[in-house]
Amino acid sequence: MAKFLLLAFRNVFRNRRRTVMTLIMVGGGVAGLLLVGGFFARMFWGLRESTINDGLGHIQIFTAEHFNREEKHVLDTGIDNWRKVAATISTGGHVRGVAPRIEFYGMLSNGVKSSVFMGSAVDPVAEKSLGFSARLAKGRDLGTKSSGEIEALIGTGVARSMNVNVGDGLTILAVTSDGALNGIDVQIVGIVNTGFKEVDDRYLRITLPSAQRLLQSDRVTNLVVGLDATENTDQVAALLAPRLNGLPQQLVLKKWVDLANYYKQVRSLFSTIFVFLGFIVFFMVLMSSVNTLLMSMFERTREIGTMLAMGTPRSWIMALFVLEATLLGVLGAIVGVAGGNLLAVLLNHSGIHLPPPPGTTVPMAFRVMHVPSLMIGSSILVIVSLALAAILPAIRASRLQIAEALAHV
Amino acid sequence: MDELDEIHELVRVEAVTRRFPLDHSYVSAVCDVSLTVDPGEFLAIAGPSGSGKSTLLNLIGCIDKPTAGHILIDGVDTSTLDSTRMTALRRQKIGFVFQTFNLIPVFTAQENVEFPLLVQGIGARERRIRVAAALESVGLSARANHRPDLLSGGERQRVAVARAIVHRPALVLADEPTANLDTRNATQLIDLMHDLNRRLGLTFIFSTHDQRLLEHTDRIVRLTDGQVISDTHDAEAPVANFAREGASHGQVLAVSL
Repeated sequence: MAKFLLLAFRNVFRNRRRTVMTLIMVGGGVAGLLLVGGFFARMFWGLRESTINDGLGHIQIFTAEHFNREEKHVLDTGIDNWRKVAATISTGGHVRGVAPRIEFYGMLSNGVKSSVFMGSAVDPVAEKSLGFSARLAKGRDLGTKSSGEIEALIGTGVARSMNVNVGDGLTILAVTSDGALNGIDVQIVGIVNTGFKEVDDRYLRITLPSAQRLLQSDRVTNLVVGLDATENTDQVAALLAPRLNGLPQQLVLKKWVDLANYYKQVRSLFSTIFVFLGFIVFFMVLMSSVNTLLMSMFERTREIGTMLAMGTPRSWIMALFVLEATLLGVLGAIVGVAGGNLLAVLLNHSGIHLPPPPGTTVPMAFRVMHVPSLMIGSSILVIVSLALAAILPAIRASRLQIAEALAHV
Repeated sequence: MDELDEIHELVRVEAVTRRFPLDHSYVSAVCDVSLTVDPGEFLAIAGPSGSGKSTLLNLIGCIDKPTAGHILIDGVDTSTLDSTRMTALRRQKIGFVFQTFNLIPVFTAQENVEFPLLVQGIGARERRIRVAAALESVGLSARANHRPDLLSGGERQRVAVARAIVHRPALVLADEPTANLDTRNATQLIDLMHDLNRRLGLTFIFSTHDQRLLEHTDRIVRLTDGQVISDTHDAEAPVANFAREGASHGQVLAVSL
């Protein structure tokens, strides 16, 4: 077997120029996949982290009822005694903080015109401690200290529609948890541009105490949990779930990935593109390798005839060709992984920036991640491609008529 | 022919014909040929180009099948064998020497000689011993680690001979073995094959139209247009002693190599 491997290995380097060309092609395919896949991976990572840090958090806690039925009154499916729940969660490892939130809706009025809003109420201190911040187009974020005025952030669409600016006042009307109508006056301290027009046209954010006063309830809609690292999400979720079961209210835990629909859609789209690219690389390697291996077979016709004449089983001839192609695939994968990683390092240090993604104004630095699973997957892809490419030449070689093969010029 | 003679025959060709399709008809490369070869013979198949020498050799070597007739190797009717058994028969009983040497270019002389033993599944230690003996017998021990492209034509053909005999075959077939050699190398090769025939009792059948080789040959079968026109024995030439004694080739080679 060792000699057989040796024969296959030496045959691989028999026609050096052709081998080098094949290695460049196979290695190029692997390197291309690593660069594209590494870029996508970096993009997914960036989108994931920005989604989490924009306020989604790593884990969110809701009541079970929140998902089971529509609210009859605002916050009637909210979390009771949320401070105790937050304290229970905060004692867990890897937890950086817990931020309570209220989701509500109502009417905005500037005295002349009214508009519907979709509001959220936050604890600015907790939000800040978790690194969450609104995407401000103008003004400042909600203050961490209570002052006489009730502060509010509104979306760019709301500001345009209501013809208001930072420093102006608005009246908020909402139905309380008892079903009564209540209203408060707020002062606009900042205007937010989320990048999504539909959101900006209805966006309102006030502080949690203001919302509780407006809605006449001490409940919150959900608790947002921030962790020290996204990679710890599954571990923390697994530890938290049984703790939540011990509380009087039935609560459910949602991981960031369960709530990040935009992230999932983007990932799904780009993953499909990557699979398509992988298929193209697979097809190119397969087709060009079939050609290379067929040429190799024709050149060695007499040699194969000699081996068959000496009583070499036809299955050995087949195995020899498949082995040679597989070795070529392994070498190509090594070249590709080395080349791809080297190129990735060079590109990461090149300072290249891409145009700003939709909804942002900051150019995105071109970054490629080194993803071990991608290296393994791409290598397996080209090795399998080459092994498959060898099947046709191997079958042809093994079926050669010995007398004809020996007479081959 | 009595039963004892039949047992001693190494090769028996019975009314063999080989036709090949050509355009819309057939051409007979070998036509109704019959001959027998005893163990230890040094036999030449001679004739002009296109007379059917190589075709007959291919048929005897089980790398082609006759259109009609039978070929028996060591008593086995090859027409009854399937492809796998035919391969096994070639592997065990026959060694080949080709006009163009046909060595594996990426293997050294030693590795080339080792190849038939690898195919037979013989262990590494035994392989080493036999390869060394085979290379010694063709005088190429010093060139064992050279690849074919670093060997002269004569040396390559000697490696090919070593490869043909290393697995102790009953029969060595050589197709125009001196055709690509100069006179000096051709003479050396003829002497080598003759020496192996006499010393080890190996049976050689070769095709040639090289007069230098024919002069050293005990028996010459002449072909013209695929038919045997003469089968002459050199009365003076002794058939290898071991054959007269009725010993088997494998046993003799096992001792000698």
